[in-house]
Amino acid sequence: MTTLKSEAGERQLIEAAQKDPRRFGGLYEQNFERVYAFIAGRVRDRGVAEDLTSTVFHRALESLPRFEWRGVPFAAWLLRIARNAVADHWQRAAREQGSAGPEPTEDEVNLEEIERRATLFRLVDTLPADQRRVVVERFVEQRSLREIARALGRSEGAVKQLQFRALENLRARMSETHG
Amino acid sequence: MAEPTLIEQLDRAVETLLTRRDSPPPAADPEVTALLRLAADLRDLPREEFKQQLKSDLERKAAMTTTTATHEGVQTVTPYLVVERLEEFLAFLGQAFGAEETLRAPGSAGGTHVELRLDDSTFMAGSAPGAPGSPIAMHLYVPDADAVYRRALAAGATPFYEPMDQPYGDREAGVRDGHGNTWYIATHKATGHRPRGLRAVTPTLHARGADSLLDFLKRGLGGEEEVCERSPEGAVRHASVRFADSVVEVGEARGPIEPTAGMLLLAVPDVDAAYERALAAGGISLEAPADQRYGARRAGVKDSHGNSWYFSAPLKGVRP
Repeated sequence: MTTLKSEAGERQLIEAAQKDPRRFGGLYEQNFERVYAFIAGRVRDRGVAEDLTSTVFHRALESLPRFEWRGVPFAAWLLRIARNAVADHWQRAAREQGSAGPEPTEDEVNLEEIERRATLFRLVDTLPADQRRVVVERFVEQRSLREIARALGRSEGAVKQLQFRALENLRARMSETHG
Repeated sequence: MAEPTLIEQLDRAVETLLTRRDSPPPAADPEVTALLRLAADLRDLPREEFKQQLKSDLERKAAMTTTTATHEGVQTVTPYLVVERLEEFLAFLGQAFGAEETLRAPGSAGGTHVELRLDDSTFMAGSAPGAPGSPIAMHLYVPDADAVYRRALAAGATPFYEPMDQPYGDREAGVRDGHGNTWYIATHKATGHRPRGLRAVTPTLHARGADSLLDFLKRGLGGEEEVCERSPEGAVRHASVRFADSVVEVGEARGPIEPTAGMLLLAVPDVDAAYERALAAGGISLEAPADQRYGARRAGVKDSHGNSWYFSAPLKGVRP
């Protein structure tokens, strides 16, 4: 069913974190992008996406002692918590606005799509520094080309080229990791 | 050469994508279309600062659960030493006392938050831009006061007084660390280490007019006075006030003994009630009770002698 790779050592990571919660960091690093990709695909507002992602990992840390290893990837468990958090969010929003929430109640989790987006997010970190910076300023900070050009001390043409190279690089690396 | 056109095409399409989120623009060139799909996904790229902040919030929460979950780790009073030159200070603590760094995270006021372990005790240290120091005295019980005294001097401390046998059965020395703090280094001779009921690390507060501080610790913070020795004139020479498993010592500041303005964390069952009680006893609010991202509820008051007290309780978790 699932296309998520059961990464070698995941079980050890979970058992280590169950014994000592301070070891939770490894599980967090492995799954942060997945959870964020799932949530950001369902809520548009960045602030809300961050709040919900935070809720999911806090709940996961609290519930970890009760997690039982049944061969289901840890990510699937996290995404179930994430799905509940998103559903709670829309229900709350609907109550506050007195209308039905925009989120459909039956929500198939497309694991393959989440994995693809999570990989893309991780690959941004592998870009050359100037390309990475353009991607972050343009897509995360939503700055205009002119602002970015000024901040980098480059021409707008150079920034456009960095943007193009960055996306080309990402596409090439995506096809290496995702076939 | 077609590339400049592609670069332009892509940029125009990205611009539309970013300004009108719901309508992906049609792009003529298939190459641009493929890149645009990635661009659309990158609008959801998480902020790196958020990822790091959440990670450190979780680490602090995990450290809190660990210390509250194991009986051995329960510690009601935790001194928090704020210094300007944190790295230098940490190096000193390691060399002089063998304190071990157990957690490092961004501090809630910017700067850095570090947790340290020494024998059975936890204490914290931190720095924040512009934050004043929190000079305090720390009373350590170690197996060999003379050896630790020598190590502290070798690590850069200045002598306050040399090891001597005290009438209360301790071999004891004093040093100053160059960051505003005084360290009393003691070995309880009868037990070969520390007296029953005392931790390896006990914060000590000195005040001019220590009686009113003692009164605040009891009435405002709910501590229980265990010992109070007075000088012939009636000044508090040495008092110890118990908070469950921990003790805070109080003494009059006079002569070479400077008043402290320390920072201490107090684990309490009910932060709001503790805060109200401290205010009623003359405490000045530093921060009203509020939930912290690292999973605790926290409030702060300052006593009339300039010591800061932060009340803290773990937040009850919401179950998935």
